[in-house]
Amino acid sequence: MKTQEGSERQPKTGSARLLELAATKKPLIIGAGFLSALASVVSFVPFVAIYYIVREIVGAYPGFDLLDSEKVIRLGWLAFGGVIGNILLYFAALMCSHLAAFGTLYQLKLNFAYHIARLPLGFHLGYGSGKLRKVMDENIEKIEGFIAHQFPDIVASFVAPVVMLVILFAFDWRFGLAALAGIAVSLFVEFRAYGNDSAKKMMDNYQASLEEMNNASVEYIRGISVVKAFRQTVFSFRSLHDTIKKYTSFVLPYTLSWENYMSLFMTLINHIYLFILPVGILIGMRATDYASFAQTFIFYLIFVPSISSVLMKIMYVSSGMMQISGGVERMDSVLNEKVLPEPQKERRSLGSDIVFEDVSFSYEGSGAPALNHVSFAAKQGQVTAIVGPSGSGKSTIAHLIPRFYDVSGGRIFVGGTDIRDMELATLMDKVSFVFQDVFLFKQSIMENIRIGNQGASDEEIIAAAKAAQCHEFIKRLPQGYHTVIGTRGVHLSGGERQRIAIARAIVKNAPILVLDEATAFADPENEHLIQKAFEKLIQNKTVIIIAHRLSTVRGADKIIVMKEGAAVEQGTHDELVRAGGKYSEMWKMYTSSLHWKMSRAGREVHV
Amino acid sequence: MFNLKERLMLTDKGWKDLKKAIAACTLTNLSLMIPFGVTIQVFAELLKPLTGSEISWNRMWMLFGLGLVGFVLVFLASKNDYKKTYVVSYMESEATRIKVAELIRKLPMSFFNNKNLSELTTNIMGDCATAEHVLSHLIPQLFANGISLTIVCVLLSLFDWRLALTVFCTVPIAFLIIFLSRKLQRRMGEKHVAAKLDASDQVQEYLEGIKVIKSSGLLGEKFSALKDSLKLMMRRAMKMEVGTGIFVTGAQMILQAGIGLTVFFGTYLLTGGEIELVPLLMFFLIVVRIYGPILTELTLLPELFYMRVSTERMRTLFSTPIMEGDAERPVKSYDIAFENVSFSYGGEQGEEAIRDMSVTIPANAITALVGPSGSGKSTVSRLIARFWDVNKGRVTVGGVDVRTLDPEHLMSYMSFVFQDVVLFNDTVYNNIRIGNMNASEEQVRAAARAACCDEFVERLPQGYQTMLGENGSTLSGGERQRISIARALLKNAPIVLLDEATASLDPENEVLIQQAISTLIEGKTVVVIAHRLRTVAGADKIIVIDKGRAVEQGTHEELMQRHGLYERLFSIQQESLGWSV
Repeated sequence: MKTQEGSERQPKTGSARLLELAATKKPLIIGAGFLSALASVVSFVPFVAIYYIVREIVGAYPGFDLLDSEKVIRLGWLAFGGVIGNILLYFAALMCSHLAAFGTLYQLKLNFAYHIARLPLGFHLGYGSGKLRKVMDENIEKIEGFIAHQFPDIVASFVAPVVMLVILFAFDWRFGLAALAGIAVSLFVEFRAYGNDSAKKMMDNYQASLEEMNNASVEYIRGISVVKAFRQTVFSFRSLHDTIKKYTSFVLPYTLSWENYMSLFMTLINHIYLFILPVGILIGMRATDYASFAQTFIFYLIFVPSISSVLMKIMYVSSGMMQISGGVERMDSVLNEKVLPEPQKERRSLGSDIVFEDVSFSYEGSGAPALNHVSFAAKQGQVTAIVGPSGSGKSTIAHLIPRFYDVSGGRIFVGGTDIRDMELATLMDKVSFVFQDVFLFKQSIMENIRIGNQGASDEEIIAAAKAAQCHEFIKRLPQGYHTVIGTRGVHLSGGERQRIAIARAIVKNAPILVLDEATAFADPENEHLIQKAFEKLIQNKTVIIIAHRLSTVRGADKIIVMKEGAAVEQGTHDELVRAGGKYSEMWKMYTSSLHWKMSRAGREVHV
Repeated sequence: MFNLKERLMLTDKGWKDLKKAIAACTLTNLSLMIPFGVTIQVFAELLKPLTGSEISWNRMWMLFGLGLVGFVLVFLASKNDYKKTYVVSYMESEATRIKVAELIRKLPMSFFNNKNLSELTTNIMGDCATAEHVLSHLIPQLFANGISLTIVCVLLSLFDWRLALTVFCTVPIAFLIIFLSRKLQRRMGEKHVAAKLDASDQVQEYLEGIKVIKSSGLLGEKFSALKDSLKLMMRRAMKMEVGTGIFVTGAQMILQAGIGLTVFFGTYLLTGGEIELVPLLMFFLIVVRIYGPILTELTLLPELFYMRVSTERMRTLFSTPIMEGDAERPVKSYDIAFENVSFSYGGEQGEEAIRDMSVTIPANAITALVGPSGSGKSTVSRLIARFWDVNKGRVTVGGVDVRTLDPEHLMSYMSFVFQDVVLFNDTVYNNIRIGNMNASEEQVRAAARAACCDEFVERLPQGYQTMLGENGSTLSGGERQRISIARALLKNAPIVLLDEATASLDPENEVLIQQAISTLIEGKTVVVIAHRLRTVAGADKIIVIDKGRAVEQGTHEELMQRHGLYERLFSIQQESLGWSV
């Protein structure tokens, strides 16, 4: 698969960029263009045939004894063949362009997905999944319209006028000139409507207000449950209502501002004959060979109405072009984001110690560093716990190890190698992660566990599930391991989800384990099971555990206490409590929170 | 044939305006026959010298003048039709958008717990844009073309019915092809839309699960679910395009074959002396142009079928039953009772989440719901708030059946603090003020202070005026929770439904939240879904729920003495609290 490295590419915009994207399916695109051009040439054949028929008939008129009826029949067939040929060629062109379009979309989307997965996590948090999805679902999708429909039409709208002009001038240049004048006036009106800058600006405004309205409705729907709970629906309904009203009050005058141009254009292209009529009268009044004049004049009168369809096509193409480029720009802006660099040559890493060496890191856009010269080592086979208040940098540590972000200063070593010198795949093979917010895909439970190790057999997965204390509840689900998450009636509790995440880590069986202590949403029974699962999981591994509940990490080989981005204390539980620093303070607070109870004043309970 | 008004979900005014738009469009089409008529007259005049009579150049100039008049008429008609069609479509889609928004406001809470349905709603807002297009371009054109074609057809047969028949004989065949393939096209359209929605789901999954994706190395096409769904979508799209294309092209070819037929048959009639040259030329003139509008009909029709998929979606939404009830009746006391309540999320047939439950929750006291996960604790709180209606039995608040109360009215008596906190893309201040839009700034600040929000809000760049990003992604779980407590404090409702969700919080946060909750529940009727049993050991009443039934009730001491499920859960938890790596 080719990936697009934004920095190395000459940035192209608008239709040039679209063609560049389409070029991945070159043969199909060329085929589509060629067939479409041919189709538009062939579309004029019936007119030529009719010209000759008219010539034959008018030449013999009013008596038909001299009429070469065989020739007329042949010409009839020619007209018929032209019609059918045009349809078939155009159909073939559209098929080529559609195949090219869908293929391009597919590839673009996969490339896009691949690219965004290589971007730092901060990009995702900042950009938002909704917007990214919109890029994939809507903006990229818009390219289809360009490749599948507009591209062949653009080709046709270049070829057709040329052929048309050739025909117009071939039979009588004076009529040709008159028709050309009509075409010129029509095009002038069209460009007055579409071509100027204010129209482009209007179009941008229109897109913007449409988007604003769509965003407002998404926000409205997303927040409706809260809004309802607080009985604020009228208020939030009002604000959406206003956006909708605003949209209409903008878009309506905008559309109506084109009223005169559009109507004039439509009228003009249906009245090109008015340009050739006076010319015809003037020529006819002085004509010496009246019969041949009449033949030519009649042909032009029959032919000029067809100009309207050619001009219409040009109009659609040019108005369509204005709408299309926006989508690609958005996709490109994401593709131009720098991915986390991967090393040219990989360094081997030995063992599974994790060492933070003077690591500093700040999140983009925030001034204060999230980590400030943090150094520690997590030894192979040991449990290293990281504790501290929220915002102290605990989770940042967990996020730096899988390179969700790259450090701003210092180095992180895994098995003695800087993680930036390892290929991402190698690093991921070495480390398993269990995060707080367990994400399950809408796939079967089996597949969800297999995420940990694509090569695992069903037996291995079931064994892992058993070790993670999942087997029992999975068995109770309607289709057991084949139950699809998210289907009706399948609801997993937080604790159950957590255990699936643990099963994923077990099946992966990487030597290093990074855990965000996640006994979070669990109910008592679950919690107990999760702890049992953890015990299985952490055997003989290098474990880094981000702990929230201090009691959990009492037994850790090493506890690192974080405060405002710095590692302020390190040691075992007993050492740290004895030291009487930050940790012992936290420990006191923890024990007091344990004794908090929801009760009315005066009600004493002893537990 | 079908009720268009109903089908397009138009308002009365919209329907009337649409009819006007169709009339305006028809008028334009008919006015376009003026140039055509003038041309015929020019033909007739031109051919005169060939039959020996004299051509009148004056008459030719007059025809030119007539053409100019026609020009003005056509211009006026197009202007009129342009205005009518656009105005109707924008006004109508505005009406639909507002109607959808209005409906959403009334939908039961249960609707929004169902993710697919709320996604559907999002799509529907997009559908309104499609409807705009359909109304502004498709429908008026479709009908106007139909009407004017019929008129042309009648006029032509007045000249020569045989040739008119030749011109139009291919039309029914072409339409028959489109009509017969309708079902197939529709099925392909639906399949394509389904594949599209599925792909969109997968994209969402990929994005939401990006951490897992990254840490499992399943980038791009290695995540096969995404790849497969995109591939399926591509295949379906191709299939639909080819399928639809073949029928439309076939119909086109048959239709346009009429040009050939007219040429052959016309020449035959002409040489046989059955028809004059001028009418024949008129037919020639017509036959090269008439198929254009008919073709438009042919291509618009499938689009209309395709469009039905999205109107169906709207129909689904509008057919969702809304919950109604008395919005005035006051609730005087706040004791809550379940009387023989049974409930299942899947309707009557589904597996019951609550089975024949009868419990009472006293007013002005703390009642805890405990039990294993999936036992039905959360369902109980949802039924109290009437997010769902029970299947059997009844739920009462202050003796009033909640089903007789307007859900929003009922809601005014309740505050919620749930685990999943929804934050708006707005300032912190406004996010708190959601609790009570009438609150003064001092009240908002006081609530924030009581909920221990002050400390972290002060640290934000613009304090209370800081904008929270998409769903407040910049805040930690504990902070979000405290905002939701502040909201509830501000609302100050007599009943508090609480999902004890001091989830993954560090001790400091936890202490703060505990303080905030203590303030919130003071003097209220509190129903708490408890996860950590120690926390609720001091509750006035504990209801132990297992498999949808209330199996034990009482105070902590009473329940401990019973040596039942509660005691077992309690001791397991004590044990796990002491667990350490």
